[in-house]
Amino acid sequence: MLKKLLPLFAAALCLLTACGGEKEKTFTVGFDANFPPYGFKDTNGEYTGFDLELAEEVARRNGWKLVKKPINWDAKDMELSSGNIDCIWNGFTINGREGKYEWTKPYVDNSQVVVVLKDSSINKHSDLAGKVVTVQTDTPIQKALKPDGDLKTIGGTFKELRTVANYNQAVMELEAGSCDAVAIDIGVANSKMNSGKFRMLEDPLMKEQYGIGFLKGNTELRDLVEKTLIEMVKDGTAAKISAKYFKGEDVLIIGK
Amino acid sequence: MLLADITLFQIVKQLSEGLLVSTEIFFLTLIFALPLGLLIAFGRMSKFTPLRWLCIFYISVLRGTPLMLQLLVWYFAPFYLFGIKLSSLAIGDIDYRFTAVIIGFALNYAAYFAEIYRSGIESMPKGQYEAATVLGYTKTQTFFRIIMPQVVKRILPPITNETITLVKDTSLAFSLAVLEMFTIAKEIASAQTTMMPFVIAGLFYYIFNFIVAAFMGWVEKKLNYYR
Repeated sequence: MLKKLLPLFAAALCLLTACGGEKEKTFTVGFDANFPPYGFKDTNGEYTGFDLELAEEVARRNGWKLVKKPINWDAKDMELSSGNIDCIWNGFTINGREGKYEWTKPYVDNSQVVVVLKDSSINKHSDLAGKVVTVQTDTPIQKALKPDGDLKTIGGTFKELRTVANYNQAVMELEAGSCDAVAIDIGVANSKMNSGKFRMLEDPLMKEQYGIGFLKGNTELRDLVEKTLIEMVKDGTAAKISAKYFKGEDVLIIGK
Repeated sequence: MLLADITLFQIVKQLSEGLLVSTEIFFLTLIFALPLGLLIAFGRMSKFTPLRWLCIFYISVLRGTPLMLQLLVWYFAPFYLFGIKLSSLAIGDIDYRFTAVIIGFALNYAAYFAEIYRSGIESMPKGQYEAATVLGYTKTQTFFRIIMPQVVKRILPPITNETITLVKDTSLAFSLAVLEMFTIAKEIASAQTTMMPFVIAGLFYYIFNFIVAAFMGWVEKKLNYYR
């Protein structure tokens, strides 16, 4: 009886310790799947986006297997420090988070813009006084608009600075009329413009830069990814990927 | 181009994949929580004081804190308490994320089920035990042949309640980024700026619960053999 069970035990143990042996090196990118065009679900249900496609190419050139890991944005730091993901690569703003992660050089210039309904009376930042403005939780723009933030002169005039879980919900609130404006990354704002229901104020609220964030101390992987990304910019691959997601535009600023 | 309009079929297809995960969470939770709840109920009614207090404490904590918080604790505790890399906890293809969801749900629901079992068992009149003793039944026989069949009948409605809540609670797995139906609905909604995924997800949840309620109703009728 015991003899019969022994191989079973061995197999179970094998499964538990994952003794696959020749394991391929993986590169696990954590991203928020609610953040088009950087990371989102395409119509077939596959995860794609500008950042993910760049990551795919970086992984391919280094002979790694890319794992796209959608994460809950609130738990991103826990996911990173517990080793679930190797980096956060998802329109991830450096400004205001400088010391928290091991950053690559900035690769995309981003600005935070104000999106309002098409027929709204808001045309400039001062028109936001006494209005309800929605932002995504744990973002630099939220920090900046708070009473002690860099944009407190604008944020202080709001009737309310409302925080929601993701940008989609912010845009839904705007559409439904429960807030007057949304402060949002320009790339995401552009992806919402197709519907024809919204418009963007000309002046951005603030300029910032995107980088790829690694766990503090993980300079080795950071350097490797950065080097590969710069190579991709130099040989034009990155520009091609950019053109696909930003209407022909090359948004990359790294390696130039 | 990339954010082209999604067809209804594509939404339904992707949500169905999520529904499969929700269904897995649902059944696995029931499989583990129903027996575990009975054990805890016994412990809660035990004459051995430390065990009784332990079970009271267990129920109190698990019922008294949000399930979402418990899920985060089960998921991240191995790393933050013991420094175990979570990727090493994967069982074959099963990510520890999913395991943590099942642990969290099963332990949480067991606490609720335990109290439902207790309410059923304690509602049995003492006279039945006395009669059974007179008739020469042992304690175990009394419980399994006389008490339990009646308890099951009595507790079916509250169990149905809890089961229906469970179907809807599966959406809490999003806090660990497990791709159950509601997480997927949110992702599609974000990418396509449409409310349709939410409408369909709502419909799916309703149909699921309609089936659960119909099944439990059928079981109740079957067990109604004395009337």
